[in-house]
Amino acid sequence: MQLQYFLILAAALFCIGIYGLINSRNAVRVLMSVELMLNAVNLNLMAFSNFLDPQTIKGQVFTVFVIAIAAAEAAIGLAIVLAIYRNRDTVDMEQFNLLKW
Amino acid sequence: MTQFLLQTVWLIPCYAIAGAVVSILWSPALIRRTGPRPAGYLNLCMTILAFVHSLIAFPIAWQHPAQQLSVPWLQVAGLDLTLPLDISAITVGASLLVTGLNMLAQVYAIGYLEMDWGWSRFFAFLSLFEAGMCSLAFCNSLFFGFMILEILTLGTYLLVGTWFNQSLVVTGARDAFLTKRVGDLFLLMGVLAIYPLAGTWDFDQLAQWAETATVDPTIATLVGLALLAGPMGKCAQFPLHLWLDEAMEGPLPSTILRNSVVVATGAWVLIKLQPVLALSPVVLTVMITIGAVTAVGGTLIAIAQIDVKRALSYSVSAYMGLVFIAVGTGQTNAALLLILSHALAQGVLVTSTGSIVLNSITQDLTQLGGLGRRRPMSALCYLVGVAGLIGLPPLGGFWALLKLADGLWATHPWLVPVLLLVNGLTAFSMVREFGLIFAGSPKPMTERSPENFWLITLPMMVLMGLTLHLPLILQSLALLPSWATLNQEMAILLLWSSLTGIGIGAVVYVGQNISKPIQLPWKPLQTLFAYDLYTPQLYRSSIVFCVDWASRITDWFDRQIVDGAVNLVGLASLFSGEALKYSNSGQGQFYILTIALGLAAIALSMSWPLILH
Repeated sequence: MQLQYFLILAAALFCIGIYGLINSRNAVRVLMSVELMLNAVNLNLMAFSNFLDPQTIKGQVFTVFVIAIAAAEAAIGLAIVLAIYRNRDTVDMEQFNLLKW
Repeated sequence: MTQFLLQTVWLIPCYAIAGAVVSILWSPALIRRTGPRPAGYLNLCMTILAFVHSLIAFPIAWQHPAQQLSVPWLQVAGLDLTLPLDISAITVGASLLVTGLNMLAQVYAIGYLEMDWGWSRFFAFLSLFEAGMCSLAFCNSLFFGFMILEILTLGTYLLVGTWFNQSLVVTGARDAFLTKRVGDLFLLMGVLAIYPLAGTWDFDQLAQWAETATVDPTIATLVGLALLAGPMGKCAQFPLHLWLDEAMEGPLPSTILRNSVVVATGAWVLIKLQPVLALSPVVLTVMITIGAVTAVGGTLIAIAQIDVKRALSYSVSAYMGLVFIAVGTGQTNAALLLILSHALAQGVLVTSTGSIVLNSITQDLTQLGGLGRRRPMSALCYLVGVAGLIGLPPLGGFWALLKLADGLWATHPWLVPVLLLVNGLTAFSMVREFGLIFAGSPKPMTERSPENFWLITLPMMVLMGLTLHLPLILQSLALLPSWATLNQEMAILLLWSSLTGIGIGAVVYVGQNISKPIQLPWKPLQTLFAYDLYTPQLYRSSIVFCVDWASRITDWFDRQIVDGAVNLVGLASLFSGEALKYSNSGQGQFYILTIALGLAAIALSMSWPLILH
């Protein structure tokens, strides 16, 4: 078990998240991809906390904060998606291109 | 007192300038109530003042050697522009001739322009001319001479364009300005090129320099040709002669001045430059050729004209051509004498024909006729003018032409036939004009033609008197050759050529046996001379054509290529803005993609050295 594997796994998860973030047409799936990315970050924090800072484990504290804030952000994100859905009757990301040139 | 008058001859141009400036007050826009006449009277007074001054100064100058005055004008690094004034018998005599002729022309104009309101402008221009010519006479520097010639070119433009509501006047003034300007610009090249060679612009010092100068013949030829081009345009020589023909659209009183003295300004500069021009034999040959071609061509064209004023103007070109021949063969004294006699004789001819034109309205020789009996004074003056112009003893033209022919016989014998031919042809053309105006039976236009009132007739008669007295004046100044040194064969030849011309002219035109209008057996030749060798078409198809097309092409290049290149930059940025705005797709996900790509690119570029290791 080495630090690099954790970091590579986290990076892979982050990339999957980015792919989902950019490619999903469904707004909820975009939010889900954001969650994936946040979890990749959390993995990083936990790995560093374990391997580099086992005494004061600041990384674990950060992770707690990230989880908490991610929950709040997901709630607000869903609220926004709901608000848009009420107006436009769709959650297709490709329909939300009104603010162009 | 007398010395003082001689020392202050430089005031002579100033009188005229003062008159010109003050007469502007009476232009119709300024003094509205009195009418324009005071401008004419005032200018006449100033001219009389200048004339009297010259008249008193002339005998004093005759007794004294030439004096030099210098007026500092501008001194800048390495260049000292001081205006040198030459006060000698010749220069005072020239100013006497100019002021005298201008005085008569102004009296004539007061009569002639009776029905014209533009006196202020006209008299101001006349005085500007008088001032310019007097200062040219006194000025002893090529540089300042050039400046004065340029001012006179502008003066010609304004004076020819006096009645600018006539379209032919406008084109005539344009051609007069541009043609003379081209010559003057070549002269400027010569003036600029001669300074590094001689180190001076003073005519005296140029002459001294030319005595001992060793210049590369090519350079001497080029500089000489440039210096020749100025007088060529000024003196209306081939091929820069069309302007004098078109300048006949101007008011007639100014024609007196122009035909007699203004065209002589170029000849004056040429005479002063003779030592410099003599440095190159090519220049002298060119000068003689131009003079000879103009003299023969001018008289032939004059014979074929039907316009009174134009027939005279071409013989002015021809006589200036003779002056060119005289200067080209080094006979400056003969040239000066020729200018003097030609000025007086031409003055009489123009005043006399002007007097006819004023109350016969038409200038068409074919519509005039039979005026001799009812206009005896004008006819007499015309005859005296003819006699004074051609080689008919004992009048002035004879002595000038004899002196010229005498000198030519010694150096360039082949030019003597040219001179005799020009003399004979001029005699023929003048007698032709006399016959068409004064002889024969009256035509509808001349059915009732009274002799003119005193303001027109007086200057005409005075000029006739001067022409008649010219030999006596010359004799009293000891300028005529004595009988012992007279080349009698040449005198007889000259007399015969004049008599032949007069005789043929009289038989054909004064006698009534040959029907008019006369047709030459070969029609194209007649129209060729009548249309001035098609010079306007020649100009239009060569120089004007080239300059016109060059300017059109330059204009096109400027509008399309130069402007286009600059506009292309603007268009390119407009287009790129229009095209690049589509990168704002409005898709949030696209923005995130660009952020991710940007971050990746930055990370890649920052870690590039690490990857390479």
